[in-house]
Amino acid sequence: MIAGHIVSALAVVLALGPLAPLAQAQANASPGGGASPAPEEDGQWIMPGKDYASTRFSGLSQISPRNASRLRPVWSFSTGVLGGHEGQPLVVDKTMYVVTPYPNVVYAFDLTKEGYPLRWKYRPNVSAAAIGISCCDVVNRGAFYADGKIIYNLLDGHTVALDAATGKELWKTRIADVNAGETTPMAPLVVKDRVIVGTSGGEYGVRGWVKGLDLNTGKLVWTGYSIGPDDEVLAKPGTFKPFYQRGSQLARDSWPKDGWKNGGAPVWGWLSYDAELDLIYYGTGNPAPWNSEQRPGDNRWATSVMARSPSDGSLRWAYQFTPADNWDFDSSQEMILAELTVDGRRRKTLVHFDKNGFVYTMDRATGELLRAEPYVPVNWAKRVDLKTGRPQVDSSKMTGASRGTVEDICPTLEGGKNQQPAAFSPLTRLFYVPTNNMCMDYTASNVAHIKGAPYIGASVPYKAGAGGHLGAFMAFDPVQGRKIWEIKEPYPVWGGALATAGGMAFYGTLDGWFKAVDARTGTVLYKFKVGSGVVGNPISYRGPDGQQYIAVYAGFGGDWLLLSGDVRSDDPTDVRPPASFMPDIARHTSQGGIVWIFGL
Amino acid sequence: MDLRSLMRRRVLLSMLALHLGTVTGVAAQRTAPPAVRYDQHVPAGGQLPPAGTLRNPFKDSKRAADEGGKLFSAFNCDGCHAGGAVGAVGPSLADGRWRYGGSDGEIYHSIFYGRPRGMPAWGGTLPADAIWRLVSYLKSIEPSRDTAATTRW
Repeated sequence: MIAGHIVSALAVVLALGPLAPLAQAQANASPGGGASPAPEEDGQWIMPGKDYASTRFSGLSQISPRNASRLRPVWSFSTGVLGGHEGQPLVVDKTMYVVTPYPNVVYAFDLTKEGYPLRWKYRPNVSAAAIGISCCDVVNRGAFYADGKIIYNLLDGHTVALDAATGKELWKTRIADVNAGETTPMAPLVVKDRVIVGTSGGEYGVRGWVKGLDLNTGKLVWTGYSIGPDDEVLAKPGTFKPFYQRGSQLARDSWPKDGWKNGGAPVWGWLSYDAELDLIYYGTGNPAPWNSEQRPGDNRWATSVMARSPSDGSLRWAYQFTPADNWDFDSSQEMILAELTVDGRRRKTLVHFDKNGFVYTMDRATGELLRAEPYVPVNWAKRVDLKTGRPQVDSSKMTGASRGTVEDICPTLEGGKNQQPAAFSPLTRLFYVPTNNMCMDYTASNVAHIKGAPYIGASVPYKAGAGGHLGAFMAFDPVQGRKIWEIKEPYPVWGGALATAGGMAFYGTLDGWFKAVDARTGTVLYKFKVGSGVVGNPISYRGPDGQQYIAVYAGFGGDWLLLSGDVRSDDPTDVRPPASFMPDIARHTSQGGIVWIFGL
Repeated sequence: MDLRSLMRRRVLLSMLALHLGTVTGVAAQRTAPPAVRYDQHVPAGGQLPPAGTLRNPFKDSKRAADEGGKLFSAFNCDGCHAGGAVGAVGPSLADGRWRYGGSDGEIYHSIFYGRPRGMPAWGGTLPADAIWRLVSYLKSIEPSRDTAATTRW
């Protein structure tokens, strides 16, 4: 672990050799490792993760360490919505598209005119019932642009497609049932004529799924459950080949009888796609309830990565990061597709920074585990056995209703990382990772499943991890398991990362700073206080004027709204004391959604 | 664990003490309560509309409040409102402030019929006695005194 900037900068130089001119490096760069469709940099940002490989890497290079100190805010816009602004804007054809948290308003801004006036605004009628059925604030993780359509999910279990030019609603499909605990904050992925969507509800006893809709009509084509019988998981004999398991009914028989029916494994995170293999990848959430003693077994495929064919949903392989999850370690974090050299071989890999504190490097064609290294302090497992793919669990950190309070488990159920997506730069070949640094005491209890009510069964207070800071933004090499540099932050870094060909990385902080960083050294070159905590993900685009811009949401929220409710000001009938582990966050921020654009 | 096995395992004794029988067999006790009048509503013309009065049969009973605290956990109320009802997904019920009114009858209505922002309607599942015990529990929570001004950094 290297903390000092000078030392770490030196280490990078030694590791990479002399710094190549960025322009030259850029010419050779191929985001996503070349195997996925990474079109030439067109200056747009049309899907949540920038490309199908979910690199969040922009090929734009105008903003660089030489001029980043001259960055300045050039525009801002209040969304009028207070919920946590996770997700990111899109920029397509001189228009910026912004989706708000509940009530899921869409704004389309005309970037060709001074002040970026609206082209249109879309205000769906979203059921307020979804507010109370959303575990972790009423967030929305963004839209996807395809085929002239803006496609996104409403919180109350609907997917809509809008005409990108006019905002006209082209179709609206009910995909989920709020009364059964299902809500839909995730961002869809569109592959060819298929719209892939998933459900939340791991704290409400749902049975998680992804669905494939028809891009043109919105009609349901297939449903693939995370858990349960083979025919409903779409695990077909002959085509489903997990690397570490044999046999059938793996996702049913790893549960107690009927346990999978309310077993969670929701899909609320990010999806990736490899066009060559024609596979989508995504992570599944925690098994339900949090009291593991009510669901003896490995609980496949909760806390797993799943690889499916987008056209018919058929499952090709799956791998479980945390078998028999005892800690609410969802694996919903993004799957970044990159070509990396492992043991001297160039591999088509999938890199996943899991909540459980390990970063996994896998062969994305087969599901073979190549590396699993801790990227934050981890004590629930000593290591992950690459031969069996299983973690070597420290039994003293296992939880359950009969075990009382199990203290000092690291990381917490917020994860080493959570929804906040990392970025991968093919130039530095490093991952830029927003992280949390906390540990937890876990007290599980028996809980009954009552439809429409939460289904949790644990009380889990947090505390700061080693060093006392609650988060860090770091550059990480997952194959070597090496932290190159890190910027310690007083609060969890709940906003995502952006990397650019200009040699920059960008992120925002929970206390409301937007920061521009030298991607090689971790030196902060510019920062600006954006009015509310950042839980969204910066993007970069080329404006109609040919200049490079960075856009990011401010808007405190997500999990932290529940746990530090003293940041709220809008409800005189809901006044809460500060969170014990984060008592002063309300000194620095409060709720409020703002879109910011920065430029030179 | 379903609702019935939960009752068997966790709250059987207290449930029996509450004369509830099974949760699904007490239709008489689930009869809808009369409308209640809300103090925060503005009466047009200064004239209050007619409304019934709901009286908590366990008013000021410490035992009922304790039993209500157990129900608060057994029926997963703490899953949204947090242990001690200090607020999480759902609002704090421990701050002495009430979005939909804080009289016993108003709180009863909130639990029985639910509220539109995701508060489930429990009147079809929980018998009246259990709801009143939940009301007694919530009313027994002593709000902390200094929530209005925050200076504890």
